[in-house]
Amino acid sequence: MGKHKKIAKSNLIFDGLVNLVMILVLLVCLLPFIYMIAMSLSDPAAIMNNEVTFWPKRLNLSSYRQIFSYPNFFRAYGNTFFYTICGTAFSLLMMIMLGYPLSKDFLRGNNFFMKMVILTMFFSGGLIPNYLLISYLRLTGTRFALLIPFAINQFNLIILINFFKTIPVELEEAALIDGMSYWKLLWKIVVPLSKPAIATIGLYSAVFFWNDWFNSLIYLNSNQYPVMLYLRNIVNGTMMVGEAAGSADKSTIAISVKAAVIIVSTLPIICIYPFLQKYFVKGMTVGSVKG
Amino acid sequence: MKKSKLLSLILTASLSVTMLAGCGNSGNDSQTDANPPAEQGDDASAKTDAGQETETSQTEGETTAEGEDAESMYAGEDPLKIAVYYSDNSTLPFKEDWLTVKAMEEKYNVDVSWEIIPIADYNTKVSLALNTGTNAPDVILYQTTVGENASLALNGALVPVSDYEQWTPNFTERVKEFGLEDAVEAKKLQDGKLYYMPSLTDKPFYDGGLILREDFLEAKGLSEPKTFDDLYEILKAYKEENPDSYPLTILAGPRVLYRMTMPSFGISVGKNSSSGTSVLSWDYENNKYFAAATSDELKEYLTFFHKLYEEGLLDPEMADPIDSDTWSQKMATGYSCATYAYYDQIGGVESAAAQEGFKLQMYAPLEGPSGAHHQPKSSLGSGIMFPAATAKRDDFERIVRTIDAMFFSEEAAKIWCLGIEGETYTESGDTITYSDEILNAADGVYKYMQVQYGCGSDVTQMVWYNAREMSKYDENYAKINEQVAAMDNAIQDIPPSVDFDDLQAEDASSLQTPLADNLEVWLDGFLTGSKSLETDWDAYVGEMNNLQIDSFCQMYNDALK
Repeated sequence: MGKHKKIAKSNLIFDGLVNLVMILVLLVCLLPFIYMIAMSLSDPAAIMNNEVTFWPKRLNLSSYRQIFSYPNFFRAYGNTFFYTICGTAFSLLMMIMLGYPLSKDFLRGNNFFMKMVILTMFFSGGLIPNYLLISYLRLTGTRFALLIPFAINQFNLIILINFFKTIPVELEEAALIDGMSYWKLLWKIVVPLSKPAIATIGLYSAVFFWNDWFNSLIYLNSNQYPVMLYLRNIVNGTMMVGEAAGSADKSTIAISVKAAVIIVSTLPIICIYPFLQKYFVKGMTVGSVKG
Repeated sequence: MKKSKLLSLILTASLSVTMLAGCGNSGNDSQTDANPPAEQGDDASAKTDAGQETETSQTEGETTAEGEDAESMYAGEDPLKIAVYYSDNSTLPFKEDWLTVKAMEEKYNVDVSWEIIPIADYNTKVSLALNTGTNAPDVILYQTTVGENASLALNGALVPVSDYEQWTPNFTERVKEFGLEDAVEAKKLQDGKLYYMPSLTDKPFYDGGLILREDFLEAKGLSEPKTFDDLYEILKAYKEENPDSYPLTILAGPRVLYRMTMPSFGISVGKNSSSGTSVLSWDYENNKYFAAATSDELKEYLTFFHKLYEEGLLDPEMADPIDSDTWSQKMATGYSCATYAYYDQIGGVESAAAQEGFKLQMYAPLEGPSGAHHQPKSSLGSGIMFPAATAKRDDFERIVRTIDAMFFSEEAAKIWCLGIEGETYTESGDTITYSDEILNAADGVYKYMQVQYGCGSDVTQMVWYNAREMSKYDENYAKINEQVAAMDNAIQDIPPSVDFDDLQAEDASSLQTPLADNLEVWLDGFLTGSKSLETDWDAYVGEMNNLQIDSFCQMYNDALK
């Protein structure tokens, strides 16, 4: 009995410690975010006078009004949603269709294709050859320039393949014996069983498409630009050319506007996490060990 | 074992293949670049012929119609369709329905497809378009031919504008009007051709400099500072009153202080040196470069500012970049009373300051050992260039003529600056009166006209008349500018550029980099006192000599045009 209590006590201390650490971690992640929210909602003068900490001073929505009034802001935001949703969907489709056959060891040439995939993980043509390739394929200036070249991410593909490998062969055999085709097998049995892995790589893809600005910059026309490109410009646009003695040091953007930009650009993608979390926790480690 | 060996062999092979492929590609790439020049050369000569033909027919037109400008020439035709790269600054986001933009498109019968590219990524996009030659626009705004663009131009990626002088009458006229022939001549590349049409300014503006708390001067009965010693006295007085303060702070970092104050000491070194060499300066009396980084002038300069630093008069945080937010904070809260910054920013600080009577004022350059000078300025700014592919268009002549008229003609210059008469302003004699809406704008005339109408944007306004610009600012600003203009050469010219070939340019830059880096380290050291100006100066000069500052200087003097 006494022994039992002792364990409970040390457990309690341990739990307390764990909780403490977790709270610290939480604060480290959360405080910058709260700070940014507070800044974005404060009066610029209050920020300049160093009065803002974690609570907005003199509530003021003008910074949001300013960024929302940027011409084309909503079109750019729409573009971003388009790339994120279509890009992720297309990417998942392609990766599932490539990953499933590659997960089958009996497929001839499997090794060769796998090595080709891995090869491209380490070697690439570089910026200008890539640009020329995309340009010769007549993809520049079309939205496909963002969807097709980035449909397959090798790292995500490997996670997916390894996950497919953990699905018991017996399940598939049973389905095959019952007369199911491989196509149907993939969509009716394998994909539903692979939700954690798909959610994980889906999230990775979504975050990639959401954050990407460079590829859009080089391949697309300005009316197809995602919002990230504009926001990036607002946050550090005037700093970038600082070496060009003069005009760059002249124009400034209030920090409250920058804060608002940061909030606007991160909030939607952060909102996805809670919905995917239950898969995500499992998905992070799945695929790592073959069952 | 054998297998892994094989694998590593394959990987190495593929590595070298990809690398070679990369080379091959870029080789091809430069060939595609190199090809057009030949082609384009032919093309260009063909075009010039054609141009001359049309030119002769034009001259007839000219003699009859007088209105030889692009506006009347192409009035009846279909709108000219061109794609234009525009560098977009988020402090002034581009709007396609700006009054100026619409007026231009209508007046010159053009249908512009504007590619609005964020300024931070503008050079990347331009460089990609010029390097690959694919998907290039017809016209690129806001560029110069320094650095990469120069070699791209020499390799045929750009149209030599000077070859088509007969199509750019307005540009030529404005250059003559402002007396900038020599300056434009200096912008020509090694092959003697000009590859862009720079923006032109008749008299440089004094848009930034020493900014002080005028209310403090008044309260203390101090007079306006004329020399650096006056400044010292003012800072000292402020420090006495506010012992916790650091009276002088700098926007952005030491480079702003250096570039704005060094000319009064006869030098300009550091990251923003007016010569662009970091370590050399132009001797305006003897017309040659000298090694300013090891000169006594620099020593004298540093002695003064080290004194400020030591006595706590100079903001110790200035070694780190001070961004504009922190800077405004310092000024608004009274942490500092003086700064080197830009006039445009005064308003923001004043409106944020809580202290009653808070008033900032900008002052003319202070007098130092070499007179009172501000940062030297060029009358030529970023301008317009045409990618090589544009010259292949059948309507190339019309494009050049239209662009020339659209940005450099008298009427166009007025629209880009003032908007449309009757709508945004009225003019009687020499006085310009803005509409009530503009005059009552909270942001001030200049900013409001920029944001609302697209007037006065660096990207599109190519012709700047000082007097006309001043009508947009408050009287105070105009007064200071007048005062500075009346001073003896307060804003000197940018030192002349030199003519290096590719090899020399590389030699020069390999000498420059270590010199510049070393200078930065020592400048910091001397300023903050971690290095003594008395005991360590000789060691520093020795180091710079070892890094061949003299032969670097010699290279520049030898290559003077």
